[in-house]
Amino acid sequence: MGKQLDLLQGTLDMLILKAISLSPLHGYGILLRIQQISKERLEIQQGSLYPALYRLEHHGWITSEWGESDNNRRARYYRMTAAGKRRLQAETERWNEMTAVIAGILQASPEEL
Amino acid sequence: MSLWTRVCSWTRSTVRPTRMERDMDEEMRFHIEAHASELMKRGITREKALRQARMEFGGVETTKAECRDAVGVSFLETLLQDVRHSVRAMLRTPVFTLTAIIVLALGIGATTAIFSVVDAVLLRPLAYRDSGRLVTILMYGDGPVSAGNYIDWRDQSRSFTTMSAAEYWSPNLTGIDSPEHIPGLKVTQDLFPMLGIKPLLGRLFLEGEDKKGADREVILSHRLWQRRFSSDPSVLGKPIALDGDAYVIVGVMPQGFQFAPFWATKAELWVPGAFGSRVHSSGGSLRIFARLKDAVSLAQARAEIASITARLEQQFPGTNRNVVVTPLKEKVVGTIETPLLVLLGAVAFVLLITCANVAHMLLARAATRQKEIAVRAALGARRGRIIRQFLTESILLGGVGGALGLLLAGLGTRALIALSPANIPRVQTVSIDINAAVFLFTATILTSVGFGLVPALQASSVNVNDTLKEGGRGGSEGVQRNRLRSMLVVSEFALALMLLIGAGLMIRTFAALEAVDPGFNPHNVISMIVSVAGSKEQAAGRREFFYRQLIDRVRSLPGVQAAGAINHLPLAGDLWGWHFAIEGRPKPGPGEVPGAVYRMVTPGYFGTMRLPLIRGRDITDSDNAIAPGVVIINEQAARQYWPGEDPIGQRVSFDDNERNPPTWLTIIGIAKDAKQDNWTDKATPEMYLAAFQNHDFLGDSSAEAASHMSYITLVARTVGDPAAVTSEMKEAAWSFDRNLAISQVVTMDGVVAEANAQPRFEMMLLSIFAAVALLLAAVGIYGVISYSASRRTHEIGVRMSLGATRADVLLLVARQGVWLAVAGSAAGLAGALLLSRLMAGLLYGVKPTDPLTFAAVAGGLGVVAMMACYIPARRAMWIDPMAALRYE
Repeated sequence: MGKQLDLLQGTLDMLILKAISLSPLHGYGILLRIQQISKERLEIQQGSLYPALYRLEHHGWITSEWGESDNNRRARYYRMTAAGKRRLQAETERWNEMTAVIAGILQASPEEL
Repeated sequence: MSLWTRVCSWTRSTVRPTRMERDMDEEMRFHIEAHASELMKRGITREKALRQARMEFGGVETTKAECRDAVGVSFLETLLQDVRHSVRAMLRTPVFTLTAIIVLALGIGATTAIFSVVDAVLLRPLAYRDSGRLVTILMYGDGPVSAGNYIDWRDQSRSFTTMSAAEYWSPNLTGIDSPEHIPGLKVTQDLFPMLGIKPLLGRLFLEGEDKKGADREVILSHRLWQRRFSSDPSVLGKPIALDGDAYVIVGVMPQGFQFAPFWATKAELWVPGAFGSRVHSSGGSLRIFARLKDAVSLAQARAEIASITARLEQQFPGTNRNVVVTPLKEKVVGTIETPLLVLLGAVAFVLLITCANVAHMLLARAATRQKEIAVRAALGARRGRIIRQFLTESILLGGVGGALGLLLAGLGTRALIALSPANIPRVQTVSIDINAAVFLFTATILTSVGFGLVPALQASSVNVNDTLKEGGRGGSEGVQRNRLRSMLVVSEFALALMLLIGAGLMIRTFAALEAVDPGFNPHNVISMIVSVAGSKEQAAGRREFFYRQLIDRVRSLPGVQAAGAINHLPLAGDLWGWHFAIEGRPKPGPGEVPGAVYRMVTPGYFGTMRLPLIRGRDITDSDNAIAPGVVIINEQAARQYWPGEDPIGQRVSFDDNERNPPTWLTIIGIAKDAKQDNWTDKATPEMYLAAFQNHDFLGDSSAEAASHMSYITLVARTVGDPAAVTSEMKEAAWSFDRNLAISQVVTMDGVVAEANAQPRFEMMLLSIFAAVALLLAAVGIYGVISYSASRRTHEIGVRMSLGATRADVLLLVARQGVWLAVAGSAAGLAGALLLSRLMAGLLYGVKPTDPLTFAAVAGGLGVVAMMACYIPARRAMWIDPMAALRYE
């Protein structure tokens, strides 16, 4: 396991949206999915997932319903809404733009400064 | 995000918070368990796995709180939480809570009750259409106007849309079971349309009905209709007998309608008045009511009336002087405005003291709760949350106090109406209405927020580390907080002192009023008006015989010592004045004609009233219609018109028309000055004519006079309780004729009490307020001193172990309180010096800056302050130094 990175402020929402963009997941599933995709390089305070989920649902970007988990337990599944899809797209673009700008700055050669 | 989803989410979280809580619980449990079973796959025990899962998850409660915040549950949910917490906190300190609630309820209840009265009496417009444009035109702003003047003003002025007149007329309603004297008015036909009033039933007067000969219609008040005609709608068109004449009922006024709003406030019936006479005189019997044209200002109308009356005065010398146009509202509320505003001010002081008191009770409590707050802050409560918690507590206190206050206001308003003097206008319309409720609500909220905010802000800026480190003894009892609390106590003292001075001045006023000698002895005297109008005794030839017989019969009743009669009872009855001529003196110029209040008395009146004759003789049975006319004058008349002379034996004449020869009346005696109209008025000249020599009194002069003077006021002095002979006296009258109307049965003591009802009312209320204020201020200073003493226990212990004596400790603790009291008293005295002149109009026999009152109140308050300081100081004095040192 490599060195773990702290999550940048405000990026958790994006990661959650991305995680459930393929299929509905319960909270723990979302955590696992993010860790799996990031190859366990991101440190997520597990509890902090839920306020984010409630906030996203409150905004109408995701919805939830109770269903059965793999081991037959009741679990709450989150699914993306159309609004959420648009939101993820917009956020992704914004993120890419920003990282490109920041990367550009950070990679500037001494002459350019 | 759409508004809809937001609303749905919010509704879900608000309406079904328990469901959301359950969901959160289940979801997080699932998470932790799923994680744990994942961990167990690595081969650790379930127990360990669960513990680790929980640790990795983080604080469940914090997470849940953040979730709630995320959905914005917050408002209602946290409010409920806050309320629950507040109720628990309040129940933990029941004495504090109860005291605060009672104090608030008293303050708010009293304020609202007084405000309700002020609102009904002063603030609300009169219940007539566009009442701000209505004015009244009166002599000296007060007295009646003659018909001739009225007609000329009406015809010559251009400022008014309408000018109407009203005359007091109180007929006997006879012909139905019990005859009754009913107050009423004769009015011009255009009066009711001018007021913009529609009748409940029937119609108003028609044009022409106020002409002589057509004036036989009557409109009833709602109350009279209910009371005497059992709300029967078929009364319209029915005849009733008023003073023996037949009138037709043409209308019934709506409930709550009152006219006139001053002077004849109890009128219950209205008939058309034919005021056709063109006689100009300085006296009269009409009150004039007018409506200003839209484009005309009050000043313009006044100027016009001034020029008209100036012209008329030249034409008819001695008349039309001092005619005053007054806005009707001002006339109605004029005399009561100052007392009510003073009371409102006083009660506002009480409310302020209340707030100050509760505020520093909360401050003290906030100080003792610093540890709790620090703990909550350490556990992650934000500053806003703590402030909210405190505000919730104080608003809850305010709410409960306000609700109780509303209840008290209801009771208080009723009590005020019951206790208030009869002459307060519109007091019958007082109710806790929407205005008062709004006021109460505002008062409650302002009070709560006001006294909730300061401690909340202070408490929330607590430094968590310091407070916790100090082992809970809360070190941040800083200078600032102390200064604030001291300021609160100082202002309480200042306010209480001002109220006490106000009350003290009223008490002295009342004592001065009680000490006024009415001239007669009012104890054990009862009086009643017996009216012959509409009975068989009305006939001119019968009256004298009937009156004499009636007085004799009353005099022979068991328990009655003496009896007599007069036309108008002093202080309670009407006041008639007339000018007279003195025999042998040159004809006086206009404006210099001597005048006097005149009354007609039967033999025995002076004895019954114990109104002493200074000189001369009393009127006797032999001063009858065939004997030469006699009159008794009062001391003031003697002083004013016969200075340095002996009036006895001189002759005067009240004849108006310079009839030849005049009817001369010989002055036979001088009576002591007696109160006439108002308790505090200086004596004016007064003359007592022999009733049985007076043709008006006996009803044999003219038809008009006969109906004008168709009653006597019986007075009887009793051995015991005067009210006990009431029914015997009534029966004595009715044994002559069942149609005799008897009214205004009053004891003379009652009349005197009524004359002083207003100052008594003011004194009583101010005293109650001052007492409450004193109590609150004492509680305040006691609270501050004992609190600060208890916080200085350690310091005192140190001082004592270093050799301070108990007296030193006593001084140390008491000194602080004394300083507070001195500062408060100084501020209060200064305030009272400024404010007490506002109540000058309420005072009698005492100056607004009466040094005795100021000194006595300041001294008294000082003693109370000492006592309030002494208790905690004494407690501090007996502190055991060893125990005190161990205490921390």
